[in-house]
Amino acid sequence: MSKTLIVGEIQEGVLREATLELVTAARELGGDLVSLLIGNEIQDQAGELAKKGGGKVLVADNAAFESYTADAHAQAILKAAQTESPDLILISNTPNGWDVAPKLAAKLDTGIVTDVFKIEQEGGEPVFIRRLFNGKFNGRFRISGSPRIATVQPGAHAAYEGSDSGSVEALDVSAESRTKVVGVRAAEAGGHDLSKAEIIVSGGRGLAKPENFPEVLQPLVDALGAQMGASRPVVDAGWLPHNYQVGSSGQVVQPKLYVAVGISGAIQHLVGMKNSNYIIAINKDPDAPIFEVADLGVVGDLFEVVPALAKAIGEAKGN
Amino acid sequence: MKKILVCLKQVPHKDARLDVRSDGSWIQDDNIKFEINDYDSYALEEALRLKDKGDAEVVVATVGPERAGQSLRTALGMGADRAIHIWDDGLANTDGLGIAKALAAAAKDENFDLVFTGLMSDDANHGVTGPMLAELLDIPHITGVVKTEFNNGEVEVERELEGGALEVASLPQPCLLAVQTGINEVRYASLKGIMQAKKKPLDKKDLGGLGLDAAAVAPKLTVEKIYTPPKGEGAELVEGSADEVAGKLVAKIKELGLL
Repeated sequence: MSKTLIVGEIQEGVLREATLELVTAARELGGDLVSLLIGNEIQDQAGELAKKGGGKVLVADNAAFESYTADAHAQAILKAAQTESPDLILISNTPNGWDVAPKLAAKLDTGIVTDVFKIEQEGGEPVFIRRLFNGKFNGRFRISGSPRIATVQPGAHAAYEGSDSGSVEALDVSAESRTKVVGVRAAEAGGHDLSKAEIIVSGGRGLAKPENFPEVLQPLVDALGAQMGASRPVVDAGWLPHNYQVGSSGQVVQPKLYVAVGISGAIQHLVGMKNSNYIIAINKDPDAPIFEVADLGVVGDLFEVVPALAKAIGEAKGN
Repeated sequence: MKKILVCLKQVPHKDARLDVRSDGSWIQDDNIKFEINDYDSYALEEALRLKDKGDAEVVVATVGPERAGQSLRTALGMGADRAIHIWDDGLANTDGLGIAKALAAAAKDENFDLVFTGLMSDDANHGVTGPMLAELLDIPHITGVVKTEFNNGEVEVERELEGGALEVASLPQPCLLAVQTGINEVRYASLKGIMQAKKKPLDKKDLGGLGLDAAAVAPKLTVEKIYTPPKGEGAELVEGSADEVAGKLVAKIKELGLL
């Protein structure tokens, strides 16, 4: 019988949805399930996780865990792993998860796979499926060594919805961190809020140079009465300010129409726009991942299609 | 003098056409262009900026085949002082932990004050080497760094969280910072820099030279196969000339009630 340890996460006092997704992933694999929650004064959240399918919930509840640090959290997970001897440890692939999980793997001298979206059982062992090359390919991975560690992409599994009478147990662990958290700065409000836009036209690296945003993309933005967004590489290159960025590290948007121009569709961008009501993608690469989430796709040269589209919209409005 | 290590990886060029090998083991990479991993370029730039400000030695290291030496030369051309090129047939199929072990073995007697890596590589996207290297060197780390400030043996950083939120944290030195793209504006190697790079030291090390063997870096993570994701329902494709395509898109946008 195999055993899975899931490492839950609390964000601003609330048990994360991603944690309940780990419950689903672990339950699909079968076997025993143990959960770990790390924080300060988190008995309520531990009780909630136990009721929501987390099985036996270990709680590392200690002032040392008030803020996330890799040092302290790795010690707590290590203690839980030593106490429970799981075959598999699942951690959400969030900023905290991807920060601590490799450190834990090095401590345990074991194999780790990150950002997994699917786990299959084959020949009695798990096969982990994840994207690579920024979404262009999928890969099937296996881990030797024990425990196996995997970080799981948030949103890849449905949150577990069953209820259960799990239990809560204290995990006795003290922790020290060399890193000190000074504080958290919320996202800068205002400036360029895309959350209420009905139509967003976003440009990516395919626009090739910064001048093409005002010259090529802006006429389409204006014709549609839209707001302009951008993919991460555009913002990283300094072509547009950070508050134009759509994606997991920028703004998460849900407009009625999202037009992706010259954006290949790295996962971090897709997370930010895939729930748009309707998506049109224009890209020269027919294999670009953006076409997987788009409703309507144009495989072609954006420098021809975008001006033609802006003109056609102008004419349609004139009628 | 401050000693800084920057770990970098050579990856397929952003514009390279990528295809899967017929046996699915990896991409077909015999005849494509390579470049320094984007995240690592930002890491290198961050180190070079420290060097520009004061007395520091910047050492670049990579684990990779013969061709990866070119990326080290580029880094030297950008201003790094010396390079360590680690390669051995025993590393050909290793994983992030094996690479971290090789880097740790090369770094352990150097007593670096700071180690920079990128957050992840643009090929395999694992994002594990930095934190693993820090653990093996017994120094603290932080990932997703978008701002750094160095003073009196402390580093204050901003780390990217979700949705644009940032965490401010402070780490003692030595420490490892795994940087996010966009943290700075990466310089190009000047012609003069490229000429000077030819005279800068580039040490080659194999596993034996690092006190390791193939068993020590045997992979615990193996890729069974890679493949182009199956096409789901995907997008309905619109074809034709630019004007024809535009006409069809306009019809759809009207149907959505947005025109």
